[in-house]
Amino acid sequence: MDFDAIVVGSGISGGWVAKELCERGLKTLIIERGRNVHHPADYKDFATPWEVPHRGKVPETEVAEHYSVQSKCYAFNSATKQWWVRDSEHPYSTPADRPFSWIRGYHLGGRSITWGRQTYRMSDFDLNANKQDGNGIDWPIRYADLSPWYDRVERFAGISGANEGLGQLPDGQFLSPMALNCLDTEFKKAVEAQFPTRRITVGRCAHLTEPTPEHIALGRGPCQLRSTCERGCSYGAYFSSLSATLPAARRTGNLTVATDAIVDRLDYDHTKRRISGVRVIDANTRQGKLYQARMVFLCASTIATTQILLASQSEHFPNGLANRSDAVGRFLMDHVNGIGAIGFHPGFTDRYYYGRRPTGFYLPRYINFTEKTEVDFLRGFTFQGYSSRSTWGRGEHEVGIGAELKTRLRNPGPWEMALVGFGEMLPKADNRVTLHASRKDRWGIPLVHIDCKHGENERKLAAHGNRDAVQMLVASGFENVTAFGAVDPPGQCVHEMGTARMGRDPANSVLNGRNQAHDVPNLFITDGSCMASTGSVNPSLTYMALSARAANYAADLLASGEI
Amino acid sequence: MLVGAVLLLGGAAALTRFASKSGLASGPTEPGLSAEQFSLLEQVCETIIPATDTPGAIAAGVPSFMREMLAQWASAKSRAEIASVLEAIDQRAWRGFGAAFLELPAESRLEVVRAFDEERVKLQDPAYGKFKYLVLVGYYQSEIGATQELHYELVPGAWRSCVPLSEIGRASAV
Repeated sequence: MDFDAIVVGSGISGGWVAKELCERGLKTLIIERGRNVHHPADYKDFATPWEVPHRGKVPETEVAEHYSVQSKCYAFNSATKQWWVRDSEHPYSTPADRPFSWIRGYHLGGRSITWGRQTYRMSDFDLNANKQDGNGIDWPIRYADLSPWYDRVERFAGISGANEGLGQLPDGQFLSPMALNCLDTEFKKAVEAQFPTRRITVGRCAHLTEPTPEHIALGRGPCQLRSTCERGCSYGAYFSSLSATLPAARRTGNLTVATDAIVDRLDYDHTKRRISGVRVIDANTRQGKLYQARMVFLCASTIATTQILLASQSEHFPNGLANRSDAVGRFLMDHVNGIGAIGFHPGFTDRYYYGRRPTGFYLPRYINFTEKTEVDFLRGFTFQGYSSRSTWGRGEHEVGIGAELKTRLRNPGPWEMALVGFGEMLPKADNRVTLHASRKDRWGIPLVHIDCKHGENERKLAAHGNRDAVQMLVASGFENVTAFGAVDPPGQCVHEMGTARMGRDPANSVLNGRNQAHDVPNLFITDGSCMASTGSVNPSLTYMALSARAANYAADLLASGEI
Repeated sequence: MLVGAVLLLGGAAALTRFASKSGLASGPTEPGLSAEQFSLLEQVCETIIPATDTPGAIAAGVPSFMREMLAQWASAKSRAEIASVLEAIDQRAWRGFGAAFLELPAESRLEVVRAFDEERVKLQDPAYGKFKYLVLVGYYQSEIGATQELHYELVPGAWRSCVPLSEIGRASAV
């Protein structure tokens, strides 16, 4: 065997698996399909606004030709362009009337460089939801299974936040919280007074407010309040694979990284019921290569992992590897975005803030939880809120030029606030990733075909979220309050998940409660594809906890000779 | 009459567009600006953001920035829209004062652009929105605009969540 373990993908999940396995003494290979990235040499975080190419704008024809999907991500600009794939080079297909935004980057560290860094624990309230309302299958785990692993990953990653003692949003191991600004504080007071079942807390985020010796030992420093995070952070102040897990894995001496290596398929040895090899294609030379290890972790991201499983057909797995259940590729979900409202507040004109806080505030789930009111939909939504004073950009929409314009824009404009909803999406078998029947990419791998749409529940939930957002802003003294226009296509939240779900029954799930494939004992999957439901919170912290937990379980099995 | 703005588009395609006033420019376009066209752009920018107690648009390099954006960033559609704005401003100068924009004194230029701005902002004209945005981003995200006109710190290093505006003094550039 070349290695004890192979980890496919170097994003949040893959980085965590590699770190844990390397620290357990296992010789571990990470296979990353994208290019190598050097932390922090390859970041553009010290460019001033006037040094950023085209002041952040990517040439319009380049966007149209190469970034038609990726450019829809809020974090796409000329200083972050290197972190997104060219859609022209990495196509996928959807039905014409059902768009799906597959937003991604192919490079070491994956989307851990560009993620939104919001970090919340799932609760039993989330993990019970499928069982309670009968959509999807019951999660094989509960909060007690995850809690110690949340503790572990939070301490290492460094999560800033405040403990609130809320049933739907468990407390954690937090570094000091970032303070709410003047208007956030006013809004919190107003909402909690008028809606006693709702609570507002500062956004929990993977930023070092007070680095511990463990963080400092990895070369990480405190957040500098620049909010240029998506360019990469030279201070290593937010958690990414490049700032945290990969350096931790490397210092063990057990890590090998292969970049520009596209996994083509996994070989399955039926007599041993094991993955026997991982076949890769060099992205540049197209040379094939076979790697072997005692176990394999797929952490390539939900859709890419699904593609690998489906492409790894064999005599014994005609519908795709580890797919006796026919669940691989099905039950694709994403949090519903495009819910919320924006408004302006007339007060606090003599107040401001210093620094650019890289998080907002959070309004955890209340519908169907603290509020048992009659609603015509299942599950619910959370809000992330952001408030700030408008600046020069408002000049475009206001009448006026000349010295008067300069005088006006020299001062900050009115306070504005956006409530951005994240709605749960129900697992449905027909929301599905398959392989395209005929089209292949430049490496000869079948293209992914994504057929996914929101249903009646998502639409009703979104409408209710819009109504609530407007109501809370108006009740808190905001003016010119406007609900968001339309629900985004699925994928746009970049929380895609669910296509290799965990469950107790091999007949209807792909993975067991330890992220191990029911059908193939030395195959583990810990990216978003393992999720049996979306839950109500941002999922990355859960991927970290599941990855660390599964990696240690797998290391135990290896040590005991079971795999 | 100065038709420089039309020529931003280059050749027949541009003239066809203005003649027909329909749809978007199609076919090949020339991103370059003649000296005369650039002068018009400069003076429109400076009229929108004049030198006061801080430098204006020309000193902050806004016209050069816009020339670069036209050449390197703008699609043919955007080039046509931006050209149409300059052309319309010059036409308005002729209509109101019987002379090219560049031949008018500063106060008349201000009158022309102010009336044009009011009309187009109220109409939410996308072409003018794009033009004005480029002037604003060109100025307020320049070194002069960000650091002399507004407040900018590359590395704030701290978060002070609620402070008197007087302590910061000006709007943040980012």
